[in-house]
Amino acid sequence: MRNFVASLFLGIAIVFLVSSALLVHPFGEPPAPMDDYIIQNAQAETGANNVVAAVLFDYRGFDTLGEATILFTAVTGVVMLFRKKETAEK
Amino acid sequence: MLEIAALHIIVPVLLIVCAVFVARAKDLINAVLFLAAFSLLLSLEFYLLQAPDVAIAEAAIGAAITTAIFVVAIRATKREEE
Amino acid sequence: MSKIVRTVANQLILFIFIFGLYIIIHGHITPGGGFQGGAVIASGAALMIVAFGSSRIQKGIKEKHLSILESSGAVIFIGLAFAGLAAAGVFFFNTLIGSPVFGHTPPTGPNPGDIWTGGIIPLMNVAVGLKVFAGLSAIILVMALASSGEEVEE
Repeated sequence: MRNFVASLFLGIAIVFLVSSALLVHPFGEPPAPMDDYIIQNAQAETGANNVVAAVLFDYRGFDTLGEATILFTAVTGVVMLFRKKETAEK
Repeated sequence: MLEIAALHIIVPVLLIVCAVFVARAKDLINAVLFLAAFSLLLSLEFYLLQAPDVAIAEAAIGAAITTAIFVVAIRATKREEE
Repeated sequence: MSKIVRTVANQLILFIFIFGLYIIIHGHITPGGGFQGGAVIASGAALMIVAFGSSRIQKGIKEKHLSILESSGAVIFIGLAFAGLAAAGVFFFNTLIGSPVFGHTPPTGPNPGDIWTGGIIPLMNVAVGLKVFAGLSAIILVMALASSGEEVEE
């Protein structure tokens, strides 16, 4: 029974992966009109030649804020974990 | 263009070979070194797919910092897999 | 580590740091940015920690100072975002476009590039680069310090 369930889930995962690999849009052709807008207007609106930086820090600034929060939480957790061990040995 | 098309086949095959070596290595230091090679090949693949930003980040994080963290962790524990 | 590794690391560290600074400062005109440049500089710091040993590095710079650097990077980032809110009423508004500091606007399409463009994007790149460098270096330094005491004899 467990083998049957596991193979069923494996089959669903394989069908999902193969279908998503077949349905991906062609290389270099963006699927949404938003991409065309950003490529046409990013240099005039934000003044940055690197459109990726313009998207990261201007259009999608909240994403970068979340990334910074994740990094801050990770550093805080690691430093807290190892500092406690250090003081316990002394 | 033919060379680029050949690289698009060669690099993913080498990626799969590196991943199999990572999974099968008994010595954990060997596994970490194969993981670093995997990250370098992955950054080359990102560069071939015209994403140089992601290639730089992958080369710095995957090949340098992750390797250093894994080596530090292995030094504090055991080197051989059980 | 051996003397060869220490000598090579001493020669190499300057080039790694300068390359990382180049990626951060040119983040708005060439591929790269704060995260990538900070990661490159942090890999240089990891090289120093591995070559010279964490206890020797810790005499010069402690993880407390790195935590302060990381928090100041985060504060600069959020402060720039709130500057947009104060000036134009929109969070993350690019307030410096048109001003003399980083205010030029390049023409649309391929162009040779100008360092005085981008508004607040170069400043945010510097803030994020500082944050990522300090954070990743603090993680590696703390882990190396914690694991150096219980080294197994080989």
